[in-house]
Amino acid sequence: MATNLTAPPTRMELIKLKRRIDLAQRGHDLLREKMDALVMEFFDVLRRIQDSKRVAIEQLHKAHQALSECFAEIGTIETLESARETIRDARLEISSRHVMGISVPMIEDVEMKRDALARGYGLHTTSSALDESAREFELALKLLIRYAELEASAFAIAKELEKTRRRVNALEYILIPRLERTIKFISMRLDEMERENFTRLKRIKAILEERR
Amino acid sequence: MDRLIKLELGRLNAHLPRNRVSLREALASPNPGVNTLDGSRHVFKREELRFLAGLLPEDRWDELRLPILISFEHGLGRGAAKIKGNVETWIAGKILGKEADGEMVIYRPEVLLLRRKLPTTTQYVFR
Repeated sequence: MATNLTAPPTRMELIKLKRRIDLAQRGHDLLREKMDALVMEFFDVLRRIQDSKRVAIEQLHKAHQALSECFAEIGTIETLESARETIRDARLEISSRHVMGISVPMIEDVEMKRDALARGYGLHTTSSALDESAREFELALKLLIRYAELEASAFAIAKELEKTRRRVNALEYILIPRLERTIKFISMRLDEMERENFTRLKRIKAILEERR
Repeated sequence: MDRLIKLELGRLNAHLPRNRVSLREALASPNPGVNTLDGSRHVFKREELRFLAGLLPEDRWDELRLPILISFEHGLGRGAAKIKGNVETWIAGKILGKEADGEMVIYRPEVLLLRRKLPTTTQYVFR
Protein backbone atom coordinates (compact mmCIF):
# COMPACT_ATOMS: atom_id res chain seq x y z
CA MET A 1 0.00 0.00 0.00
CA ALA A 2 1.03 3.58 -0.60
CA THR A 3 3.14 5.44 1.92
CA ASN A 4 3.57 9.17 1.83
CA LEU A 5 7.34 9.14 1.05
CA THR A 6 7.20 12.75 -0.09
CA ALA A 7 6.54 13.92 3.46
CA PRO A 8 9.56 15.91 4.66
CA PRO A 9 11.42 13.83 7.25
CA THR A 10 11.42 16.48 9.95
CA ARG A 11 10.48 16.44 13.63
CA MET A 12 7.75 19.02 12.97
CA GLU A 13 6.17 16.76 10.35
CA LEU A 14 6.39 13.84 12.75
CA ILE A 15 4.52 15.82 15.45
CA LYS A 16 1.89 16.86 12.89
CA LEU A 17 1.41 13.26 11.74
CA LYS A 18 1.09 12.02 15.32
CA ARG A 19 -1.66 14.59 15.91
CA ARG A 20 -3.40 13.47 12.71
CA ILE A 21 -3.25 9.80 13.67
CA ASP A 22 -4.71 10.63 17.11
CA LEU A 23 -7.62 12.41 15.44
CA ALA A 24 -8.11 9.57 12.96
CA GLN A 25 -8.00 7.01 15.76
CA ARG A 26 -10.56 8.97 17.78
CA GLY A 27 -12.80 9.30 14.73
CA HIS A 28 -12.45 5.60 14.05
CA ASP A 29 -13.32 4.61 17.64
CA LEU A 30 -16.40 6.83 17.77
CA LEU A 31 -17.62 5.79 14.32
CA ARG A 32 -17.14 2.16 15.29
CA GLU A 33 -19.25 2.77 18.40
CA LYS A 34 -21.88 4.35 16.19
CA MET A 35 -21.71 1.37 13.83
CA ASP A 36 -22.10 -1.08 16.75
CA ALA A 37 -25.08 0.87 18.05
CA LEU A 38 -26.64 0.93 14.57
CA VAL A 39 -26.18 -2.83 14.20
CA MET A 40 -27.89 -3.29 17.57
CA GLU A 41 -30.79 -1.03 16.58
CA PHE A 42 -31.06 -2.70 13.17
CA PHE A 43 -31.34 -6.21 14.57
CA ASP A 44 -33.83 -5.06 17.17
CA VAL A 45 -35.99 -3.49 14.44
CA LEU A 46 -35.68 -6.70 12.37
CA ARG A 47 -36.91 -8.75 15.31
CA ARG A 48 -39.87 -6.40 15.74
CA ILE A 49 -40.56 -6.54 11.99
CA GLN A 50 -40.79 -10.33 12.14
CA ASP A 51 -43.26 -10.20 15.05
CA SER A 52 -45.26 -7.42 13.44
CA LYS A 53 -45.39 -9.23 10.08
CA ARG A 54 -46.59 -12.45 11.68
CA VAL A 55 -49.36 -10.68 13.61
CA ALA A 56 -50.42 -8.66 10.53
CA ILE A 57 -50.60 -11.79 8.35
CA GLU A 58 -52.67 -13.61 10.98
CA GLN A 59 -55.05 -10.67 11.16
CA LEU A 60 -55.30 -10.46 7.36
CA HIS A 61 -56.13 -14.16 7.28
CA LYS A 62 -58.89 -13.55 9.83
CA ALA A 63 -60.18 -10.58 7.86
CA HIS A 64 -60.32 -12.59 4.60
CA GLN A 65 -62.20 -15.33 6.40
CA ALA A 66 -64.72 -12.77 7.65
CA LEU A 67 -65.01 -11.40 4.09
CA SER A 68 -65.70 -14.87 2.71
CA GLU A 69 -68.47 -15.30 5.28
CA CYS A 70 -69.85 -11.92 4.25
CA PHE A 71 -69.81 -12.95 0.53
CA ALA A 72 -71.72 -16.09 1.47
CA GLU A 73 -74.26 -14.23 3.57
CA ILE A 74 -75.14 -11.11 1.57
CA GLY A 75 -73.64 -11.96 -1.80
CA THR A 76 -70.57 -10.81 -3.73
CA ILE A 77 -72.20 -8.00 -5.70
CA GLU A 78 -73.85 -6.44 -2.64
CA THR A 79 -70.57 -6.63 -0.70
CA LEU A 80 -68.62 -5.00 -3.54
CA GLU A 81 -71.26 -2.27 -3.87
CA SER A 82 -71.05 -1.56 -0.15
CA ALA A 83 -67.26 -1.46 -0.42
CA ARG A 84 -67.58 1.18 -3.18
CA GLU A 85 -69.80 3.30 -0.93
CA THR A 86 -67.38 3.11 1.99
CA ILE A 87 -65.59 6.32 2.98
CA ARG A 88 -61.89 5.87 2.31
CA ASP A 89 -60.50 8.12 4.96
CA ALA A 90 -57.74 7.37 7.43
CA ARG A 91 -56.03 9.95 9.62
CA LEU A 92 -52.52 9.32 10.83
CA GLU A 93 -50.24 11.38 13.01
CA ILE A 94 -46.79 10.88 11.49
CA SER A 95 -43.80 12.41 13.24
CA SER A 96 -40.16 11.43 13.40
CA ARG A 97 -37.70 10.24 15.97
CA HIS A 98 -33.94 10.26 15.68
CA VAL A 99 -31.71 7.25 15.94
CA MET A 100 -28.17 8.66 15.86
CA GLY A 101 -29.00 11.37 13.39
CA ILE A 102 -31.23 9.20 11.20
CA SER A 103 -34.75 10.42 11.04
CA VAL A 104 -37.11 7.45 11.25
CA PRO A 105 -40.88 7.72 10.96
CA MET A 106 -43.01 7.40 14.06
CA ILE A 107 -46.75 6.83 13.86
CA GLU A 108 -48.54 7.35 17.12
CA ASP A 109 -51.97 6.28 18.35
CA VAL A 110 -53.06 4.65 15.12
CA GLU A 111 -56.81 4.19 15.37
CA MET A 112 -58.48 2.75 12.32
CA LYS A 113 -61.57 1.40 14.05
CA ARG A 114 -64.81 3.11 13.01
CA ASP A 115 -68.40 2.46 13.94
CA ALA A 116 -70.77 1.12 11.28
CA LEU A 117 -72.29 4.57 10.61
CA ALA A 118 -68.92 6.23 10.05
CA ARG A 119 -68.02 3.68 7.36
CA GLY A 120 -70.55 5.17 4.97
CA TYR A 121 -72.35 2.14 3.50
CA GLY A 122 -76.10 1.66 3.82
CA LEU A 123 -77.07 -0.33 6.86
CA HIS A 124 -80.47 -1.49 5.62
CA THR A 125 -79.04 -3.47 2.66
CA THR A 126 -76.16 -5.09 4.56
CA SER A 127 -75.76 -7.41 7.53
CA SER A 128 -73.58 -7.72 10.62
CA ALA A 129 -71.25 -10.02 8.62
CA LEU A 130 -70.14 -6.97 6.60
CA ASP A 131 -69.59 -4.97 9.80
CA GLU A 132 -67.54 -7.81 11.23
CA SER A 133 -65.47 -8.09 8.04
CA ALA A 134 -64.88 -4.30 7.98
CA ARG A 135 -63.84 -4.38 11.64
CA GLU A 136 -61.30 -7.13 10.96
CA PHE A 137 -59.86 -5.25 7.95
CA GLU A 138 -59.59 -2.04 9.99
CA LEU A 139 -57.58 -3.92 12.59
CA ALA A 140 -55.42 -5.45 9.85
CA LEU A 141 -54.80 -1.96 8.41
CA LYS A 142 -53.66 -0.74 11.81
CA LEU A 143 -51.17 -3.62 12.04
CA LEU A 144 -49.96 -3.06 8.48
CA ILE A 145 -49.28 0.61 9.28
CA ARG A 146 -47.19 -0.45 12.28
CA TYR A 147 -45.36 -2.91 10.01
CA ALA A 148 -44.71 -0.19 7.42
CA GLU A 149 -43.34 2.12 10.12
CA LEU A 150 -40.86 -0.55 11.22
CA GLU A 151 -39.86 -1.42 7.67
CA ALA A 152 -39.16 2.24 6.84
CA SER A 153 -37.06 2.46 10.02
CA ALA A 154 -35.09 -0.64 9.04
CA PHE A 155 -34.36 0.78 5.56
CA ALA A 156 -33.17 4.10 6.98
CA ILE A 157 -30.97 2.41 9.59
CA ALA A 158 -29.51 -0.02 7.03
CA LYS A 159 -28.60 2.85 4.70
CA GLU A 160 -26.84 4.76 7.47
CA LEU A 161 -25.16 1.56 8.65
CA GLU A 162 -23.66 0.99 5.21
CA LYS A 163 -22.34 4.56 5.06
CA THR A 164 -20.84 4.33 8.54
CA ARG A 165 -19.25 0.95 7.81
CA ARG A 166 -17.57 2.37 4.71
CA ARG A 167 -16.13 5.25 6.73
CA VAL A 168 -14.92 2.97 9.52
CA ASN A 169 -13.25 0.69 6.98
CA ALA A 170 -11.63 3.64 5.16
CA LEU A 171 -10.13 4.83 8.43
CA GLU A 172 -9.19 1.36 9.66
CA TYR A 173 -7.71 -0.09 6.49
CA ILE A 174 -6.50 2.92 4.52
CA LEU A 175 -5.94 6.16 6.41
CA ILE A 176 -4.60 4.93 9.76
CA PRO A 177 -2.19 2.32 8.26
CA ARG A 178 -0.96 4.93 5.76
CA LEU A 179 -0.28 7.43 8.53
CA GLU A 180 1.42 4.73 10.60
CA ARG A 181 3.69 3.82 7.69
CA THR A 182 4.57 7.46 7.07
CA ILE A 183 5.35 7.95 10.77
CA LYS A 184 7.53 4.86 10.69
CA PHE A 185 9.29 6.11 7.54
CA ILE A 186 9.98 9.54 9.07
CA SER A 187 11.14 8.06 12.38
CA MET A 188 13.52 5.71 10.57
CA ARG A 189 14.77 8.54 8.37
CA LEU A 190 15.36 10.76 11.40
CA ASP A 191 17.22 7.93 13.18
CA GLU A 192 19.28 7.39 10.05
CA MET A 193 20.11 11.09 9.85
CA GLU A 194 21.14 11.05 13.50
CA ARG A 195 23.40 8.07 12.87
CA GLU A 196 24.89 9.79 9.80
CA ASN A 197 25.58 12.92 11.84
CA PHE A 198 27.16 10.90 14.60
CA THR A 199 29.45 9.10 12.15
CA ARG A 200 30.31 12.38 10.42
CA LEU A 201 31.24 14.01 13.71
CA LYS A 202 33.36 11.04 14.70
CA ARG A 203 35.13 11.16 11.34
CA ILE A 204 35.77 14.91 11.65
CA LYS A 205 37.09 14.40 15.18
CA ALA A 206 39.44 11.69 13.91
CA ILE A 207 40.74 13.92 11.05
CA LEU A 208 41.31 16.82 13.47
CA GLU A 209 43.22 14.54 15.85
CA GLU A 210 45.39 13.25 12.96
CA ARG A 211 46.27 16.83 11.98
CA ARG A 212 47.45 17.70 15.51
CA MET B 1 -8.83 14.47 5.27
CA ASP B 2 -8.57 15.93 8.80
CA ARG B 3 -11.34 18.35 7.96
CA LEU B 4 -13.52 15.47 6.82
CA ILE B 5 -12.90 13.55 10.03
CA LYS B 6 -13.68 16.66 12.12
CA LEU B 7 -16.85 17.19 10.08
CA GLU B 8 -17.84 13.56 10.61
CA LEU B 9 -17.19 13.84 14.34
CA GLY B 10 -19.31 16.99 14.44
CA ARG B 11 -22.14 15.25 12.59
CA LEU B 12 -22.12 12.35 15.05
CA ASN B 13 -23.91 14.46 17.64
CA ALA B 14 -26.09 16.59 15.38
CA HIS B 15 -29.17 14.74 16.59
CA LEU B 16 -28.72 15.92 20.17
CA PRO B 17 -31.37 18.22 21.67
CA ARG B 18 -30.80 21.96 21.93
CA ASN B 19 -32.57 21.94 25.28
CA ARG B 20 -33.82 19.03 27.33
CA VAL B 21 -37.32 19.11 28.77
CA SER B 22 -38.58 17.80 32.08
CA LEU B 23 -40.94 14.85 32.23
CA ARG B 24 -43.68 17.15 33.59
CA GLU B 25 -43.28 19.55 30.65
CA ALA B 26 -43.30 16.67 28.17
CA LEU B 27 -46.44 15.18 29.70
CA ALA B 28 -48.20 18.54 29.59
CA SER B 29 -47.18 19.31 26.01
CA PRO B 30 -49.61 18.51 23.16
CA ASN B 31 -46.63 17.65 20.96
CA PRO B 32 -43.96 16.34 23.34
CA GLY B 33 -40.46 16.50 21.93
CA VAL B 34 -37.29 18.52 21.59
CA ASN B 35 -35.60 20.52 18.84
CA THR B 36 -32.29 19.04 17.79
CA LEU B 37 -29.00 20.75 16.95
CA ASP B 38 -29.50 20.10 13.23
CA GLY B 39 -32.81 21.97 13.35
CA SER B 40 -35.20 19.03 13.17
CA ARG B 41 -37.64 17.86 15.82
CA HIS B 42 -37.42 14.67 17.82
CA VAL B 43 -40.77 13.55 19.16
CA PHE B 44 -41.37 11.47 22.29
CA LYS B 45 -43.94 8.69 22.32
CA ARG B 46 -46.73 9.43 24.79
CA GLU B 47 -46.83 5.76 25.72
CA GLU B 48 -43.20 6.01 26.88
CA LEU B 49 -43.86 9.20 28.81
CA ARG B 50 -46.72 7.47 30.59
CA PHE B 51 -44.40 4.53 31.37
CA LEU B 52 -41.81 6.91 32.86
CA ALA B 53 -44.50 8.74 34.82
CA GLY B 54 -45.61 5.44 36.31
CA LEU B 55 -42.04 4.55 37.25
CA LEU B 56 -41.08 7.85 38.86
CA PRO B 57 -42.88 9.46 41.85
CA GLU B 58 -44.73 12.61 40.78
CA ASP B 59 -42.64 14.95 42.95
CA ARG B 60 -39.55 14.00 40.90
CA TRP B 61 -41.06 14.61 37.44
CA ASP B 62 -39.34 18.00 37.22
CA GLU B 63 -35.94 16.48 37.91
CA LEU B 64 -35.97 14.04 35.01
CA ARG B 65 -34.65 15.77 31.88
CA LEU B 66 -35.55 14.17 28.59
CA PRO B 67 -34.14 12.64 26.49
CA ILE B 68 -31.92 10.56 28.76
CA LEU B 69 -28.41 10.61 27.27
CA ILE B 70 -26.51 7.35 26.78
CA SER B 71 -22.96 8.44 26.26
CA PHE B 72 -20.36 6.38 24.37
CA GLU B 73 -17.06 7.92 25.38
CA HIS B 74 -13.66 7.57 23.77
CA GLY B 75 -11.54 5.57 26.16
CA LEU B 76 -14.44 3.94 27.99
CA GLY B 77 -14.00 0.73 26.02
CA ARG B 78 -15.91 -0.79 23.14
CA GLY B 79 -19.60 -1.31 23.89
CA ALA B 80 -19.54 0.49 27.23
CA ALA B 81 -21.69 3.57 27.76
CA LYS B 82 -22.30 6.03 30.55
CA ILE B 83 -25.47 7.58 31.95
CA LYS B 84 -25.23 10.64 34.17
CA GLY B 85 -27.70 12.33 36.49
CA ASN B 86 -29.39 11.16 39.67
CA VAL B 87 -32.89 10.62 38.32
CA GLU B 88 -31.66 9.39 34.94
CA THR B 89 -29.51 6.69 36.52
CA TRP B 90 -32.33 5.86 38.94
CA ILE B 91 -34.66 5.23 35.99
CA ALA B 92 -32.01 3.19 34.14
CA GLY B 93 -31.26 1.24 37.32
CA LYS B 94 -34.95 0.51 37.83
CA ILE B 95 -35.29 -0.84 34.27
CA LEU B 96 -32.03 -2.79 34.32
CA GLY B 97 -32.20 -3.92 37.94
CA LYS B 98 -28.91 -2.23 38.83
CA GLU B 99 -27.68 0.00 41.62
CA ALA B 100 -27.46 3.67 40.65
CA ASP B 101 -25.62 6.60 42.19
CA GLY B 102 -25.50 9.59 39.86
CA GLU B 103 -23.28 7.89 37.26
CA MET B 104 -23.70 4.48 35.75
CA VAL B 105 -21.68 2.48 33.24
CA ILE B 106 -23.74 0.08 31.20
CA TYR B 107 -22.79 -2.46 28.56
CA ARG B 108 -24.19 -3.35 25.15
CA PRO B 109 -26.93 -5.84 26.19
CA GLU B 110 -28.09 -3.34 28.80
CA VAL B 111 -28.05 -0.50 26.27
CA LEU B 112 -30.22 -2.64 24.02
CA LEU B 113 -32.65 -3.37 26.84
CA LEU B 114 -32.88 0.29 27.77
CA ARG B 115 -33.39 1.34 24.14
CA ARG B 116 -36.10 -1.27 23.73
CA LYS B 117 -38.00 0.15 26.70
CA LEU B 118 -37.32 3.79 25.89
CA PRO B 119 -36.67 4.19 22.13
CA THR B 120 -37.67 7.86 21.89
CA THR B 121 -36.85 9.15 25.37
CA THR B 122 -33.20 8.06 25.19
CA GLN B 123 -30.52 9.35 22.82
CA TYR B 124 -26.96 8.30 22.04
CA VAL B 125 -24.07 10.72 22.54
CA PHE B 126 -20.60 10.12 21.10
CA ARG B 127 -17.74 11.87 22.92
